[in-house]
Amino acid sequence: MEQHSGKPLIETRDLVKSYNLGGEIIHAVNGVSLLIEHGEYVAIMGTSGSGKSTFMNMIGCLDVPTSGQVLIDGTPTADMSSDELAVLRNEKIGFVFQQFNLLARTSSIDNVAVPLIYAGLDKPERRTRATEKLIDMGLGDRLLNTPAKLSGGQQQRVAIARALVTEPLMLLADEPTGALDTRTSEEIMAIFESLNASGITVIVVTHEDEIAEHAKRRIEFRDGKVIEDRPVGNRTVAVGASLAEDV
Amino acid sequence: MASVPVRPRRSNFLASWGVNIAIALTALHTNLMRSILTMLGVLIGVFAVTLAVAVGNGAQESVMQSINSFGSNMAIIVPEPDNEGGRRSFDRGRLTSRDLRAIEREVPGIIATAPQLRSTLDLVTAGASTSTSAVGTTPGYGQITNHPADRGRYISEADVRSAARVLVLGRTTAETLFGEFDPVGETVRVDGVPFQVIGLLEEKGSTFGTDNDDTVVMPISTIRQRFVGDTLPGPDDLQLAFAGFEEGASLVQGKIDITNVLKDRYRVRDGEINPFRVRTTQEFMEESQFITGILQAVLVAIASISLLVGGIGIMNIMLVSVTERTREIGLRMALGAKGSDIRNQFLVEAAVLCVLGGAVGLTLAWLAGAALTAYADFPVPIGIGVALGSLAFSAFLGLVFGSYPAIRASRLSPIEALRTE
Repeated sequence: MEQHSGKPLIETRDLVKSYNLGGEIIHAVNGVSLLIEHGEYVAIMGTSGSGKSTFMNMIGCLDVPTSGQVLIDGTPTADMSSDELAVLRNEKIGFVFQQFNLLARTSSIDNVAVPLIYAGLDKPERRTRATEKLIDMGLGDRLLNTPAKLSGGQQQRVAIARALVTEPLMLLADEPTGALDTRTSEEIMAIFESLNASGITVIVVTHEDEIAEHAKRRIEFRDGKVIEDRPVGNRTVAVGASLAEDV
Repeated sequence: MASVPVRPRRSNFLASWGVNIAIALTALHTNLMRSILTMLGVLIGVFAVTLAVAVGNGAQESVMQSINSFGSNMAIIVPEPDNEGGRRSFDRGRLTSRDLRAIEREVPGIIATAPQLRSTLDLVTAGASTSTSAVGTTPGYGQITNHPADRGRYISEADVRSAARVLVLGRTTAETLFGEFDPVGETVRVDGVPFQVIGLLEEKGSTFGTDNDDTVVMPISTIRQRFVGDTLPGPDDLQLAFAGFEEGASLVQGKIDITNVLKDRYRVRDGEINPFRVRTTQEFMEESQFITGILQAVLVAIASISLLVGGIGIMNIMLVSVTERTREIGLRMALGAKGSDIRNQFLVEAAVLCVLGGAVGLTLAWLAGAALTAYADFPVPIGIGVALGSLAFSAFLGLVFGSYPAIRASRLSPIEALRTE
């Protein structure tokens, strides 16, 4: 993990994303200002259409806001070129998707190594790092398996290894257990917890309360706005970054 | 957890191409049948173009060879009678032995001249018969046309003076009449008249399907007296004459000199059409080079259409591939691929497809060329230049027809692409 700057990992300022659907303007995200500090474990909650995924895509620099600002590690992203955004995603953000999004007919090790191709590492280095991460995920005996030869939980662990292989600052997971059974979901959440314990920031988008229970902070979206932002259960929240304080 | 930071190290241009080739091969393998069918288009195109180029080169080469085989430094003089009123007028347009002697005397650089009278004659032996083209000429003919006798002897001045009934046989004619048996000294009846065989002509092979060994040579006086005399306007007239020049002599100048001598002798005034025509081997070469050049251009143009169709097939399949793999493109972008990384990935895929197809097409063209050379006796040379050229052109084709789909892929928005089902 690299030394962080002391600035918030993610800061959004009055973030808006609107779509024009047949002449009607829809505000998927409608003026969200948030701070997420290094080392947090955040659950972003909300029903389908609440804007939580759109929000995550914008802080993940996959989607461009209609207005407002996203700052990653203190750096504004609004004026970045698509190439600069690609480098930023490669270096600082690890994505975990609901459908795993592994390349078919490609071994675990090659799947995990994909981000390192774009980081410009040579092949032996890519293999070494990918192997390390797969072993960390308990998949040391599945290095050469293709996704078709892996269970759902194993596939998601390969995907997590891939998200971590560039040593990013944060893990962004969009419904990471949506395609998994309850027991496997618990395994995945345990992994997130231990990753967070080791210092990495984890942000999980989910609509399931049981999943959100694992986080330390819970942010709830409805109609494109944050309607609730609070620490979870009896855990202590490291940084009291609430909407009310930021604005 | 291992925690070595992974940066900054954007580099290694070659390695990234290696990765792209690996990705391309995986993608092509994934849709193997489709890849093969797409390659087939390029394969046929490269095959056709390569073969067209090679056939054109071969035609050029074989025309050169056959012109050279008839003596490379030579002028041919043909009388051109007027054809007015549908009747040949021999008042103008004659060529005689005296004209040849004048040319030999007055034109510098000439080694020898040889007249020619030609007629198709029936040859009969005890056991066989044939009909062949007989040439009546003088001893210099063998040297000028590069077709001497290599067994027995050629016709001599004495034979010409005495109008001797002697024959020099071409190899094919000899074989037809005598088989393996040595014919020198034997008798052949030519249109009923007995002739003695005095020699065999060197083997020459065929040119454009014409067997140069199916011929006989006899003294010009003999053929004139016995076979063609009454078809000619005068006792000294010729159908055709050859003039051989020294090596290095200018044929352009030689042609001018011969023309001037003949103009003088036939009193052709300026502005009048010459009653004869002088052609040189150099002109034949230039003309045939021009013609084979056109032939080659036409062949290549037609073949290029199939290459174009192959290229469009590549573009089509790459567009399909980009559409099918939109989600993969989105994923790669999420994981840090720049637009240029995606563009290069698909460009390389198109180029790999083309180069593989091109390599197979080239191999097939090479085999077809070798077969043509071996069985049709027609040289189809595919040199290293043609081979490398067609491979490079295949790669170029891939880049050209792959660029539109590749650029389209590189401009996708990461999130739109990821959302695609």
